[in-house]
Amino acid sequence: MSQREYHIVVLGSGGVGKSCLTAQFVQNVWIESYDPTIEDSYRKAIEVDGRHVILEILDTAGTEQFTAMRELYMKTGQGFLLVFSITSMSSLYELTELREQIRRIKEDDNVPMVLVGNKSDLEDDRSVPRPRAFKISQDWGNVPYYETSARRRANVDEVFVDLCRQIIHKDQREYNKRVPKPQKGRNKHRQHRGHRIPHCTIL
Amino acid sequence: MADFMLEKEEVNKHASALVAPLNIQKSPKRSRSRELSHVRQSSSRGTASVKSHSQISPPLTPRTSREGLPQRQSVQPVFHNYLRAFYHFHPSSTVSSSTDESSITVPINQGDVILVHSVHPNGWADGTLLASGARGWLPTNYCEAYDHATIRNLLNALTHLWDLVRDGENGDLLVFTKQDYVRGMIAGVRFFLERTQCLTRDSPLVLAHVGLRRMRKGLLGDLSSLVKTAKKLQETLQSNESPVPVFEQLDELVLKSFKLVTRAVRFLDIWAQDAISLSFDLSDASNNRPPTPPSDSVDPSVQPSATPNQNGEEVALANEYPSSVSQASAAATQEELDSVTSQPPRNLRLSVAFSIPSESDSLQSPLLPPPSQGQAKRLSVTHRLSYTGKSQGSRKQNLASERLNNAHDAFLGFIGSFIGLHLQSRSSEDLTLTTQQSVIACRQLLVVVEEIWERDSRRSEQLEQARDMMYARLTELVQATKDMFSASDASLGEDVVMPESGRQLVAAATSCVRSAGDCVTRARFVIERIGDFEFENIGLGLSETIFEQIGQGAQQEVEQSEPEQPPQLEPAIETEKPLPAPPTAIRQLPPPLVISESKPLPEIPQPSPLESNRASLQPAPVPAIVESPTAVSFRSSRSSLPPLNQLPTPHLPQPSPSEYSQSPASATQRFFSNSTRTDSVNASVADSNSTFRYSMRGDTGSIISQASTRATTPDHSPAKKQSSQTLVSSFGSASELRSMASEDASAAEEHLLETTFAHELVYNKDGQISGGSLPALVEQLTTHEATPDAVFVTAFYLTFRLFTTPVELAQCLIDRFDYIGDSQSVGLPVRLRIYNVFKGWLESHWIGESDSAALGIILTFATGKLRKSLPGAGKRLAELTIKVTEIRAGALVPRLVSSLGKTGISNTIFTAADTNVPNPIISKSQLNALRGSKEGRASCSILDFDPLEMARQFTIIESKLYCSIQPEELLALEWTKKNGSKAVNVRAMSTLSNDLANLVADTILLLEDAKKRAIIIKQWVKIAVKCLELNNYDSLMAIICSLNSSMVLRLKKTWELVSVKTKARLEELKIIMDVGRNYAVLRQRLQNHVAPCIPFVGIYLTDLTFVDVGNGTTRQLPGESGRDSVSVINFDKHMKTAKIIGQLQSFQVPYRLAAVPEMQDWMEQQIHRVRASDQANVQSYYRRSLFLEPREATQAIKVSPSPVDSSSQSSFSAESRTNSKDKFEFLGFQFSTTNSSKDR
Repeated sequence: MSQREYHIVVLGSGGVGKSCLTAQFVQNVWIESYDPTIEDSYRKAIEVDGRHVILEILDTAGTEQFTAMRELYMKTGQGFLLVFSITSMSSLYELTELREQIRRIKEDDNVPMVLVGNKSDLEDDRSVPRPRAFKISQDWGNVPYYETSARRRANVDEVFVDLCRQIIHKDQREYNKRVPKPQKGRNKHRQHRGHRIPHCTIL
Repeated sequence: MADFMLEKEEVNKHASALVAPLNIQKSPKRSRSRELSHVRQSSSRGTASVKSHSQISPPLTPRTSREGLPQRQSVQPVFHNYLRAFYHFHPSSTVSSSTDESSITVPINQGDVILVHSVHPNGWADGTLLASGARGWLPTNYCEAYDHATIRNLLNALTHLWDLVRDGENGDLLVFTKQDYVRGMIAGVRFFLERTQCLTRDSPLVLAHVGLRRMRKGLLGDLSSLVKTAKKLQETLQSNESPVPVFEQLDELVLKSFKLVTRAVRFLDIWAQDAISLSFDLSDASNNRPPTPPSDSVDPSVQPSATPNQNGEEVALANEYPSSVSQASAAATQEELDSVTSQPPRNLRLSVAFSIPSESDSLQSPLLPPPSQGQAKRLSVTHRLSYTGKSQGSRKQNLASERLNNAHDAFLGFIGSFIGLHLQSRSSEDLTLTTQQSVIACRQLLVVVEEIWERDSRRSEQLEQARDMMYARLTELVQATKDMFSASDASLGEDVVMPESGRQLVAAATSCVRSAGDCVTRARFVIERIGDFEFENIGLGLSETIFEQIGQGAQQEVEQSEPEQPPQLEPAIETEKPLPAPPTAIRQLPPPLVISESKPLPEIPQPSPLESNRASLQPAPVPAIVESPTAVSFRSSRSSLPPLNQLPTPHLPQPSPSEYSQSPASATQRFFSNSTRTDSVNASVADSNSTFRYSMRGDTGSIISQASTRATTPDHSPAKKQSSQTLVSSFGSASELRSMASEDASAAEEHLLETTFAHELVYNKDGQISGGSLPALVEQLTTHEATPDAVFVTAFYLTFRLFTTPVELAQCLIDRFDYIGDSQSVGLPVRLRIYNVFKGWLESHWIGESDSAALGIILTFATGKLRKSLPGAGKRLAELTIKVTEIRAGALVPRLVSSLGKTGISNTIFTAADTNVPNPIISKSQLNALRGSKEGRASCSILDFDPLEMARQFTIIESKLYCSIQPEELLALEWTKKNGSKAVNVRAMSTLSNDLANLVADTILLLEDAKKRAIIIKQWVKIAVKCLELNNYDSLMAIICSLNSSMVLRLKKTWELVSVKTKARLEELKIIMDVGRNYAVLRQRLQNHVAPCIPFVGIYLTDLTFVDVGNGTTRQLPGESGRDSVSVINFDKHMKTAKIIGQLQSFQVPYRLAAVPEMQDWMEQQIHRVRASDQANVQSYYRRSLFLEPREATQAIKVSPSPVDSSSQSSFSAESRTNSKDKFEFLGFQFSTTNSSKDR
């Protein structure tokens, strides 16, 4: 099987550290000079469950104020990281609107998605209780919820791998759908969602 | 350790009988203890090697590990750039020396410092003797790593210079047109003197110690001579003469720096000895020492007495009467000494040399860890990784880094043609061949990587992953090729390749390239960490199964061609041959591979203290040694090389004969002259002379130490900068007082020891400054020999507030003004530049808000120091400070001149405003209609006007905002700040962009008739096309975004009515504005653009964000890993920031378009209308969209029962939830309801 390329969009309001999350994931630790202006700046090859995939990450950091552009970004994505800061309740609320927008533009309820509570290193400043965020992720349809610390590089890779896994599964389901095995699609997928134990990973 | 202590005591008992000072015994003793454990092994191996050379013998450990082997094994082999000889080694005295061999085995003497190029696993090192410039093989077990905090900077500078010269030989002489590298040496010397507290001539240590005084003087003489050579070289290069003299000058340069460092080493030896014997307060230096081994915990006061006079080890004391010690008396003492003590003059020198390691034991950083037995097979040759990295490759093809590069290049070459083939010709025969070639190349690369990985004792996991990944890619590629062939065979039986599978192949190849790149990066990283090394063989260690699938015949073909590949593939080390003849043609500079693996290291001289004592007294084998180095000059390759002894003698004031004999400078003669015997006498005389007086002082040592402690403390006071000033002035007074040197010499010293922070700079691979301390950066801003780099200066002005404060910068500039002095050649040009920096800052880069704090300092400086030195400049600067205050008070304009760093081209395009402005495409009736709409009489539609004219007017509005963006708005993520952001114009840009997008959506969604909506869409597409023609990407982006938004895009019925042509146009535009691949298309277009142009600002904002987030604020100085590594400003980050801002600024040129105020008014009115309306948010637009074209049953997604969607069916205008607080409450409510109602 040839190498797949998946598009991941990182969303979240300004200041939640999503660019830091992306930069941490994309750049190799030892790179002493990171240049974001080249084509490959946001590409990374990873291995998920034995598959080699290339992730192209679209992170709109810095352009949050260009709200009209969001949907253009969203259109390109197959999976979404919705990032908020555990130190800011409003950053979580803003995600709800973003998620609605994703569902609209994708015309799909089951877009691969991960809810990410960043800045877990700032536990003292936490203003989003973990259960609260987890509950929201449940309400979104058992979307996995992670707490990360981009600064400490905690859970960073896990978030992207989880999302990538979801995309791969969805990919396969759709492939199966096209190959005449019609009735299975939905059920299987639900089953799968159920199988994945909702988890809240904290480091 | 216990037994060690015992041994030490034992040594102490013997101490008085020893020739060498106490500490020395440690080293021979250590080797003795090693001998006990290893002697059998080594000797048996020695004989074995003579008989059968097939045995790959583990290297004799250069130094015995006291801790024992297991601990050592965990130690990462560290490559030491410098070794210091511990024993004499003269090849002729060793067994089995053929004539050939002696020509490349370099003799070493105790105390010699060696620049190491590579270390062979058998323990032989390829090195260059600093003392003579001779290069050749030498046994590492005779040596010990040489490194000390005090001299490290200087050593690093020398290494750097060496690398540069290597590059220079390859024709890369650019660096020599500047003198940065010499500044590195100067900085090294300065740092060295500072640390040894001998910076000023007046420093107590220098005053007290004649030896140090002389050494210091000699050191400065050497430095001056080096600087002169560098200058000459610079001039030669600038005058573009033939390269031959340049090479000679390069030789000279290296030799002079060697000499300088050699002297510094000797200086340090003497200093270290006296510093201890006199118990000087050396807290500064000793703090930085590595933990002292227990053996050195001997009470320092014991030492002087334990150091016997007969030894010639001299602890003379001039401290009591520092100024009264006259030359004459010194000379007299020396003569006495000559006759009395130094029967064989060489002894004196030897003992000095011998004492060196002992001293350095306590000073040195960890010893060279001997490669463990287990590693021995792998560690073939360890190489110093060149800083500059360019040079060595051409010669040392077997270096891992070089192999890696070659393999990678070859791989890229093949895979490139592989991909190219798929894009063009389709001949499957070619294809097979190329595929195979690429696979082979890839395999080569993997082998190299594998080798590197195995070499790494840490077994880098990341490298392993990358390697595995690449391997997998390769497998995929092979599989894809195979698939393709089988497919084409089956279907057509022809050599036709299906385009589909071809694409797949290319994709596979591309990913292969990518993972290879990744792999190579990691491998390089590992190499950097473990040091470069050479390959022993090229065994293809990988499984070949996958390659076999391709086809055996072709495989063989390739296999055959393999030997023709890079010549380094042949096993270069012939383990079977006994002591292969070393290259007599010394043109191949490093002969690293020629030494047989099994060549045993020479036995270490008998380690018992008594015997070593004896050895040091034996003058016999030594004299010959000094001659041979000159025979093998460091650049012996060049036949045209003038004999070393013809080199100009060190630049020194011509001393009187008597002075000459005792001047430390004479010591250098020993290193560079052929008349070994007499010169060595000279040298030893100088040494004994100075030290003898110290030995006489032995008894009163403690008293003096107290005095000197008091005397030296001021040097440690925080006002270190002051000392640099006094340094300069002290030379003058000192020379008057003592007439030690001529006036000329002191003047030379003055600008020689110009304070410099060059050692605190970091360069990247392109030779650009990527980091540095503030003083170092300021120095770059104000160099005396060349105008500073414009890009650097712009970046500095733009970003300095991010890494320093205006006050600090001003202070730093003033400090520079102070320490550079007012000499004609250096001081004045630099001072003028400092003035210029201030002037530029005030004129063009002043930000009153933050910078006004520094105004006072600048004014004081202008009216004080600057006026004194440069009256005109002082006056002008003072005027400027006043001007700046006025403007700050008067206007909001933050700068006097708004010409910040706009890159040339764009500005020149802008010509006179009135010429060539196109006439607006607008009729009178249209203008009337616009006026009417303003008064509310009529209403206009976008359909009423020409798309081009509308695009123009939008562009004018947008351009106004864009051109007023200030660089400060783009720094430190200013525009993302939620409250009080100063980035007003950036904010306005994003608002305008959103407004335009909303306007597009609004005009479309306003109409209930799908046909009319389709017409509006068409009009917007037309406007967008015109925006593109005007290079207005920002408006273009807004329109595209809106047309692609969910609310517009889902209007299927409307889009059905849009013409195919319009849709096609829109697609073209979409491709241009594609966000994928990091805006690759858009970036490409912007690269070739000339102003005026309005790029999509979002790209820059994202870039700036990631530069800020992805790059640290500081970086480490290279070469100082570990404990006292220094971090400096990561200027690379700021350069990147400035570069992006510079790009943005380069487009900040107003359009030559005529404004139509009526139309602009109308547009703004429309925008305000949209903004003011309740619908100006995505949700209400979406509802409106749903209202216009309700969801079809089939397309309907599973609508969650959230209030948003359910309400969307109702009137779109009923709800207004623009207030964000409302929205949140509303959303919060949603959570609670959905929680209960939904159970998924």
